[in-house]
Amino acid sequence: MPRDLTPSTIENTFVLKALTERIRLDSRSFNQLRDLDISFSSTDYGVVDVKLGRTRVIARISAEITQPYADRPYDGLFIISTEISPMAAPTFEAGRKSEDELVISRIIEKSIRRSGALDTEALCIISGEKCWAVRADVHFLDHDGGLMDAACIAVSAGLLHFRRPDITIVGVGSRREVIVHPITERVPVPLAVLHVPICVTFSFFDVRKASAAIAGLPGKDNMKEADDDDVEEENDSSTAVLVDATLQEELLRHGFMSVTANTNREICQIQKGGDMPVEVGKLLSCSEAAIMVAEKVTKLIKKRLKEDEARRNVGNLLVEARAENDR
Amino acid sequence: MASRIEIYSPEGLRLDGRRWNEVRHFRCAINTHPVSSDGSSIIEQGNTKVICNVIGPAEPTLRSRVIPDRVSISVKLVVAPFSMIERRKRPQSDSRIQEMCSSLQHVFEDAVIAHLFPRSQIDVNLYIVAQDGGILQACINATTLALIDAGVPMYDYVCACTAGMLDREVLLDLNRIEESAMPFLTMATIGGTRKVALLQLEMTVQFDRLEPMMAAAMSGCHHIRDLMDTEVRKHGKSRLERGSL
Repeated sequence: MPRDLTPSTIENTFVLKALTERIRLDSRSFNQLRDLDISFSSTDYGVVDVKLGRTRVIARISAEITQPYADRPYDGLFIISTEISPMAAPTFEAGRKSEDELVISRIIEKSIRRSGALDTEALCIISGEKCWAVRADVHFLDHDGGLMDAACIAVSAGLLHFRRPDITIVGVGSRREVIVHPITERVPVPLAVLHVPICVTFSFFDVRKASAAIAGLPGKDNMKEADDDDVEEENDSSTAVLVDATLQEELLRHGFMSVTANTNREICQIQKGGDMPVEVGKLLSCSEAAIMVAEKVTKLIKKRLKEDEARRNVGNLLVEARAENDR
Repeated sequence: MASRIEIYSPEGLRLDGRRWNEVRHFRCAINTHPVSSDGSSIIEQGNTKVICNVIGPAEPTLRSRVIPDRVSISVKLVVAPFSMIERRKRPQSDSRIQEMCSSLQHVFEDAVIAHLFPRSQIDVNLYIVAQDGGILQACINATTLALIDAGVPMYDYVCACTAGMLDREVLLDLNRIEESAMPFLTMATIGGTRKVALLQLEMTVQFDRLEPMMAAAMSGCHHIRDLMDTEVRKHGKSRLERGSL
């Protein structure tokens, strides 16, 4: 039975009152991300452990050969599975999709699959007969807010890290055979990742509603003066925008918007739910902030990938073992 | 086949002869199902047709749905199998439909003056009879009108419109062919204000192209708001004259 995670009234008023004074409980600034740690498995390719603050998510990428869909013979398959179990938080039920889970899985679908992060045409082996089916399994270990963001980072990093076995096609015509080379024989091949989508969630708080919730306490009607580097417009200070909310902030927020961006200054998807109407200029500045976050996170992913490559590739033997010619 | 269709001609005409900033033919009718529901509406935006029935505020059907200090809204969306070119039955558990229901629910839970009806439920049933692009926007517009017809107090109209970007041209209110040819966003505003209730973008777009799309969608929403307002006032006047209320 799922447990409700509603916070107590005291917690509510404390967090909201702090927000009206521009304080977040973990003393971050309003547009600061939590500490992000990305680590790759030292034994398997394509296993990523992402820690965003206290939120922990593991993504596992695997590939197998299968038959393509009949109406898309030139494309491989790419499936993302994001089942949330009660391990993440007691509010999730095993086997039943809660509304939060639906939102998370749809946004990850749109961010990664629909935006074409993975080139599915490159997964085709023999058109109409054989293709690679890449599967991304996301396991949510700990829920402290930002499940979407952490999952997106994990899958993107996993796709960049994963190596599939090299294959050769022998024979001609209808008697073609695919030989899959084990990684002990041939160096495995990376996937064709076209761009790295990073999802950023912005949480909106209506300060007027917050002030009403803490009625009786001495408070301010509007926020204190916005700092220069905060994502706010000077003339509309009745809406507070928080980047990367913790679970407590998530439960108390009045609305949210999730923006997926990449380093090419492209916005892959925007989902702003109907919870709280927000002025349109604010939404635009949030999208711009998302691009900056995407750049920072992509840089970190690439740095960790390089470190992992160095750890695996001691003495640069992998370069010698490659079967491809230098062109 | 796709290359022979000219989405936007050099003279500035689209497939159906519209200019870039013209919305499709907008027809709406209120109180179309007076017996079976408390409020109802039919909206036709171009070839997209949506019927909406609202029942409530009433006693909640499920105890778990009861919210002690406000009304809860439950949205059900049925896509008719004959609504597309190819006959296809969409199961109720289809994630796209569930996502649309969830979005609609959140939009209207905030748009309705919820604290007036604690521990009550409003049922919104939507039927998509014909699809030609802009389904979510038609559903939002239809629900707004049906809620008004049901007499549910609302802060303002919730109006929705789509806008897309083809290369560098912004196009307003896309049909199905245009939707599959370019990235587009669906925006719902609160009446004629600049507040955005819902914003959904599903295809990749350059960030610099986002602002003109949003500006066009916003002006489209405001235009639709005026169209809806005209119809609501006309309907109200005719009911007053008929003496039935």
